[in-house]
Amino acid sequence: MSTVEQSTKDAIGQDAEELLRLDGVKKYFGLRGVPFRKAGAVKAVDGVDLVVRRGETVGLVGESGSGKSTLARLATRLLDPTEGRVSISGQDVTTVRGRRLRPVRRKIQMVFQDPQASLNPRQSVGTILTTPFRAQGIRPSRAELIELLHQVGLSEEHLERYPHEFSGGQRQRIGIARALAVRPGLLICDEPVSALDVSVQAQVLNLLADLRDELGLSYVLVAHDLAVVRQVADRLAVMYLGTIVEEGPAAEVYAAPAHPYTRALLSAVPVPDPGAARERIVLTGDVPTPIDPPSGCPFRTRCYKVQDVCATVRPVLEPVAGGEHRAACYFPETASPEISRAPMSERTP
Amino acid sequence: MPEPRKTPSETPVLEVHDLHVTFRTEGGLVPAVDGIDFAVAPGQTLAIVGESGSGKSVSSAAVMGLLPSNADVKGEVLLDGRELTKLTAEELRKVRGNEVALVFQDALSALNPYYSVGWQVAEAYRLHHDVSKKEANARAVRMLDLVGIPSAAQRARAYPHEFSGGMRQRVVIAMALVNDPKVLIADEPTTALDVTVQAQIIQLLEDVQTEFGTALVLISHDLGVVAEVADDVLVMYAGRAAEQGSVKDIFYRAAHPYSLGLLGAMPRVDVPPKHRLTTIPGSPPSPGSIETGCPFQPRCAYTERVGERCITERPLLTPRPGEGNHEAACHLGRRPEIAQEVARTGIQENAAPEGAPLQQSAAQESAPLEHSAAKAEGPLQPSAEESAL
Repeated sequence: MSTVEQSTKDAIGQDAEELLRLDGVKKYFGLRGVPFRKAGAVKAVDGVDLVVRRGETVGLVGESGSGKSTLARLATRLLDPTEGRVSISGQDVTTVRGRRLRPVRRKIQMVFQDPQASLNPRQSVGTILTTPFRAQGIRPSRAELIELLHQVGLSEEHLERYPHEFSGGQRQRIGIARALAVRPGLLICDEPVSALDVSVQAQVLNLLADLRDELGLSYVLVAHDLAVVRQVADRLAVMYLGTIVEEGPAAEVYAAPAHPYTRALLSAVPVPDPGAARERIVLTGDVPTPIDPPSGCPFRTRCYKVQDVCATVRPVLEPVAGGEHRAACYFPETASPEISRAPMSERTP
Repeated sequence: MPEPRKTPSETPVLEVHDLHVTFRTEGGLVPAVDGIDFAVAPGQTLAIVGESGSGKSVSSAAVMGLLPSNADVKGEVLLDGRELTKLTAEELRKVRGNEVALVFQDALSALNPYYSVGWQVAEAYRLHHDVSKKEANARAVRMLDLVGIPSAAQRARAYPHEFSGGMRQRVVIAMALVNDPKVLIADEPTTALDVTVQAQIIQLLEDVQTEFGTALVLISHDLGVVAEVADDVLVMYAGRAAEQGSVKDIFYRAAHPYSLGLLGAMPRVDVPPKHRLTTIPGSPPSPGSIETGCPFQPRCAYTERVGERCITERPLLTPRPGEGNHEAACHLGRRPEIAQEVARTGIQENAAPEGAPLQQSAAQESAPLEHSAAKAEGPLQPSAEESAL
């Protein structure tokens, strides 16, 4: 375990302030043309508990359709949960609406995936950055806006420009600056780097890390790229078909994934090392439809360890090897997967 | 013109020499590809790596003769020794989809929503073979089965929207392979797919290649996928080759600061996180914006130390020491003392997992080089401090 992962993990105690708490949150979407009945709904998020404490970065990973983006929108109250409770800084905000949501939004802000689509092309950067202040009834000074730009690595001259004058990476910086405007404690970042080139992606990831250190921010980082998440997350939650199947300190989950799905997912990520031979678990088939998920464990239809019991009752998150690392599986893995590497002689000239 | 690369084992089936693609636009001429060479042999995989605007997709479209009419293509494209750029539209149609096939990133837009997938695969076959519909359909079902579509005979009657993303990409691959092409060009074939499905498709491409001996040109920005499937790698930057060599040359002995920057910028899932990712400052240039000197120079951490040449003189691909065809286009290669210094500090940054043993061996091996007048050896790595955020 690296010192980086270890130190951040130690720094965040169990008793640090809870910025976000989700209790048994569900979100069912009715099907078009069909009257809303639970039987005929897309179960996008199907019973999730999640806590984010001050100073920590929680990585939320999963494949398309796993419900991770829906969960992000539930956490920011952009969507109303079908069931369950959303609490922000200890306050239950599940039923708070409209104008009364504004003070809540000062605590939690969102960074979107596509900065092209989330910035108004007809507004200057100055106007874009002023909007969140005005929503809070504040009239920001020019100095405040410039300070925001400096925080994300842009400068004063950018204030009068329009989104099309920026590169993708710079646009994402503007999106981050806008989210930071009202000084939130928690940023929900939904695929913040997936639309960017590799070299630019690294710049934005480093920026997020710097902001965390400078401003004491917490993040929920929603991403499909497990390598990106490993770079920044203290804690990892793996979603499959609307539920969290594994959760724990990032270093532990990456080193010894316990849920067969996490293990398969990690083994499928290609590694930029032509000499690395890893045991790859190739899953068969596709993710089942969230309209009619399998009985019992949602992963059982693709699992390489499936037994009869898996079809009965959905397994709940239970501690693996003690500690905070938990997996929802009847037959969790215990050993670390093996990785063999090319001999050193091949690696140097 | 640099010497064309030869794959050691076999004669290449596809050779591209000094390819230039220039677009005539309202804003003037835009050089998208500015002189690249590559070759790929049967059963081999060449990966073309680069960021947006590097010209990697334009290069492959030029090979297929698929560029719009405002594109000027210069250079040679040889398929089994036959010059493709000189063919008439009619002759090219016989080659395209038959001897050279293309797999696109977005399978949904590559398929026609109005026709069943079986019909579409069969059509691709009938275009190039004088067979009955029945025979063509049977061939289509066999191909769908081969690419792993379960109950292919029934599924052949289904329409594209009835398939998942991964299954659709399988259909597109079946369509590309139905005429048993010599060369398969895959342009970001797994980028739109989830990682577990990506693993299935990569496996499929490798199986198909083994079975049919197809030469594969893989265009990708994902260094992980490239490390996994490529035999040779061409790193493109701003329409030019920055570096090319075997997959191990590029991943273990990269010499161009851009290749090293890319490798350092990529977060890895298999090792604990670095404190900071190495970054390349700025963003890729738009095509044609850099006319003299090295296109990477405005973002390069070594320009100051090499001097004026980076700004005034375009670096050409120069062979690297050692066996094989490793070449890099960088002036740093001629300043061994800088390169060696960088190699010693750099390799720690770009160290393989649990770095310690590697650093040791690197230090040992680079020591004797200080006495030789040999060109730069070993990885150069822009350090985190030098990369402004």
